[in-house]
Amino acid sequence: MLFPTFTFAIFFLIVFVGSWLLMPRQGLWKPFMLIASVVFYGWWDWRFVFLLAFSAVANQLFAKAIERAATVAARKWLLAATVAVNLGVLGWFKYYGFFVTSVANALQASHLNADLPLLRIVLPIGISFLTFRVLTYGIDVYRGRLRTSSMMDFAVYVAFFPYTLAGPIARAGEFLPQLSAPRDPRTIDTSRAFFLIFGGLVKKMLFADYLATHIVNGVFTTPGSYTSLETLIGIIAYSVEIYCDFSAYSDIAIGVSLLLGFELPDNFDAPYTAISVQDFWRRWHMTLSRWLRDYLYIPLGGNRKGQRRTYVNLFITMVLGGLWHGAGWTFVFWGALYGGALVVEHRRIGVRKARFKARQRTLPAAEADTGDLGLAANDTADFGYAAPAPTVATVDGAPMPTAAAGGAAARSAAARAPSARSAAPLELDLRPWGGGVWPRVGTFAFVTFAWVFFRAASFGAALSVFGQLFRHWGSIGAAVTPGVLLVIVLGIGIQYVPRSFTERAEAGFSVFNPLLQGLVLAVGFMLLDVLGPAGPASFLYFKF
Amino acid sequence: MDERDTGKLPFGRRRRTAASALIAIVVALVLGAFFNAPAMKKTAEGMPFGGVRSFKLALVGPLATVSHWLLLDRPARVTAEALGKPAPGPSAAQVVVVTPTAHPSGKPGKIDLDKPLARPYPGHPLHLYIAGDSMAGVPGMALVNLSNRTHLIKPLLDYHISSGLARPDFFNWPAQLLAQTEAFRPGAAVVMFGANDRQGLQTSSGKVYWFGQPGWTAEYRRRVREAIAILEDGGTRRTYWVGQPVMPDPKFNRQIQVINAIFRSEAARHPGVEYVDAWSLFTNASGGYAQYLPDASGQMQQVREQDGEHFTYAGGMRLATAVMALIKKDWLSKKGGAPPKASGKSSPKATPKP
Repeated sequence: MLFPTFTFAIFFLIVFVGSWLLMPRQGLWKPFMLIASVVFYGWWDWRFVFLLAFSAVANQLFAKAIERAATVAARKWLLAATVAVNLGVLGWFKYYGFFVTSVANALQASHLNADLPLLRIVLPIGISFLTFRVLTYGIDVYRGRLRTSSMMDFAVYVAFFPYTLAGPIARAGEFLPQLSAPRDPRTIDTSRAFFLIFGGLVKKMLFADYLATHIVNGVFTTPGSYTSLETLIGIIAYSVEIYCDFSAYSDIAIGVSLLLGFELPDNFDAPYTAISVQDFWRRWHMTLSRWLRDYLYIPLGGNRKGQRRTYVNLFITMVLGGLWHGAGWTFVFWGALYGGALVVEHRRIGVRKARFKARQRTLPAAEADTGDLGLAANDTADFGYAAPAPTVATVDGAPMPTAAAGGAAARSAAARAPSARSAAPLELDLRPWGGGVWPRVGTFAFVTFAWVFFRAASFGAALSVFGQLFRHWGSIGAAVTPGVLLVIVLGIGIQYVPRSFTERAEAGFSVFNPLLQGLVLAVGFMLLDVLGPAGPASFLYFKF
Repeated sequence: MDERDTGKLPFGRRRRTAASALIAIVVALVLGAFFNAPAMKKTAEGMPFGGVRSFKLALVGPLATVSHWLLLDRPARVTAEALGKPAPGPSAAQVVVVTPTAHPSGKPGKIDLDKPLARPYPGHPLHLYIAGDSMAGVPGMALVNLSNRTHLIKPLLDYHISSGLARPDFFNWPAQLLAQTEAFRPGAAVVMFGANDRQGLQTSSGKVYWFGQPGWTAEYRRRVREAIAILEDGGTRRTYWVGQPVMPDPKFNRQIQVINAIFRSEAARHPGVEYVDAWSLFTNASGGYAQYLPDASGQMQQVREQDGEHFTYAGGMRLATAVMALIKKDWLSKKGGAPPKASGKSSPKATPKP
């Protein structure tokens, strides 16, 4: 069941009414929501429902066992079993073919023939999201951060339909507490929900699908038919397409959940305004990057085992993050590109830190007292995610805004920072490339370059696309139309719209009479239907 | 209505009740349904003939009528017209009349199939038209790439998802073929239909034949002949008619074999048409369905997508390579260019009989 369909609209209307009618009776509401979610998931293929059931029962049993285990060793073994079972299921469904063909081809290259069993395995939709979601339950119970819930609560968490297919990856600790008491039907943030849903539909139907059909698919599948300029625009268009497609699903999922009274974590924060690769991963698929940080990078040792090991951990985390997206060597390479980029950025910051400390040592003791600069090793900052850690620090101890606030803001804040000295304070800029326009352009260029490997069917196909950039610069090409250019500009431009602008619009809409709200939405749906494609296309991230 | 703010939201954004949300949702959906009723009716009409289609039409048909009475279908129509887009809603069925003497090929006169094929050369490439449903998409892309490498073939890929010869009211392939042969003037065509055609066919008299009935076979055969006639009358010297590959579902397989048999026999009747047997290209050593097959270098590749039916790029390339071999033999080799022989030919291997 696709979000942008009338079928889903009817389904949601039924679920919405049933959910709020039954909400006061949690004993009825939870089975109702579970059944609705199973219907939604089983709409694709009813056989996949068994996977949900298995995942819910197995993870609940493991979590209960971990909680009751008497010894640390037993808890560790049970956790290892939880992880092994979940990754085993994921591996079987998603990586079996990739693994067997890789082994068979390696043997063939070594002139060894092996008749390996090549089975046709149907990939359950959204299995990667499901696996990461349910793993948070067992791991957080093991860490003592979460108590086990009832089987019914956990089943609702596993199957909750808005995020089942393509995220956000809501952790058990973020969602299960919301099931502890009925949601309040008097305090729904409807305006934000409607903005998220309608905005998601616009991004999906008018931006992503338009670019896919008008330039991206052609450039990536038949590159030889396009000029160099068309190829360049097509590559950039894919960056916009994948953002508009994936963030659209997240927005709609969050909006639908809000209407049902549940809050899901944000998943995107204007990723193409990033000033570094670290910053990009703070803004792109935020729930995945947080997951990778907390459940992979930190358990690997994070930055606690020396600089070299930190780099290795970063690289491993990103390579596995790439493989999570797809069973193919191009995805591994895509992850490795990011791993390498993060290592370079951390190395750059590391050198700057060393120089900073050296300069501090040359200053008089009073001036060199840095106070709490946020320089203490912390895994959060090293992975590049989100921490409220300052990205610019000064010797007078005044923390600067985070990189997300942008270079200009950082500079102006530095100017405003109280200082007892008249001389310019000694600054440590923790942004790898500083702020301003060029780091943004450079980061976008790197991300766009990396997307080629993500989109292309093979390395050969990716190289064909790159090769086409150097062949036909003589003409513009028919695929570069004003419509394509406009959508690209809008797709990037909306990320530079200040959040306050959207929030003001949401606030204005929230005071409308609901009849007027409905009328505005209906006109919006009509325009989407006229302007959008003839049929809804599947979301790109479903296959992950 | 009981509305109150609990917790601060930015710029005084107000929280609303579930009842308020329900009113907005219902108004949006009901009004939206009236605004978009013609498009919904068109979607329902495009469904395969049967109970589900009748049920949906019974729902959206009156909706569209009421929408028209209340002028609620006008905003979408006016908006579409203002933007130069086709008006939403069912369009009058286009009727294609195939007249054997009409020649939009750029070379007036009846095509002489006995004449040797003209070899393309730099500056005068062979125009290769590739048409079909979604099954033709990926092989078509691979064929475009192979064509571009020759620098002697100018390809045009024209595939439409969910289309076929069964439902001209959903997508009118005869009209499309006629338009493309006039505009592109192909010397050769590669066509691949059938995967969506296992459904009822409505004749010009309005009678619907269900798949498996004798009347269905006769009507489908007529449509295949019509498509061939349009291509040939448009100047297409060679048509490579690609059959459907083996499918994972046994029932689907049996249906596909019925359709492939029609393609094969019609190709045998037309000297300028060659049947390309995709079935045998995608079977394993025991003749069954294969998800993975070795490529030309012996490397094992996944050739079918997760749905088991559509091709991966490796699979598409496997099929495109086979088609390109035929094109090269006919058009680019020194031995090529000979007039076709009317026989029950097919390439590369024979399809198992149903």
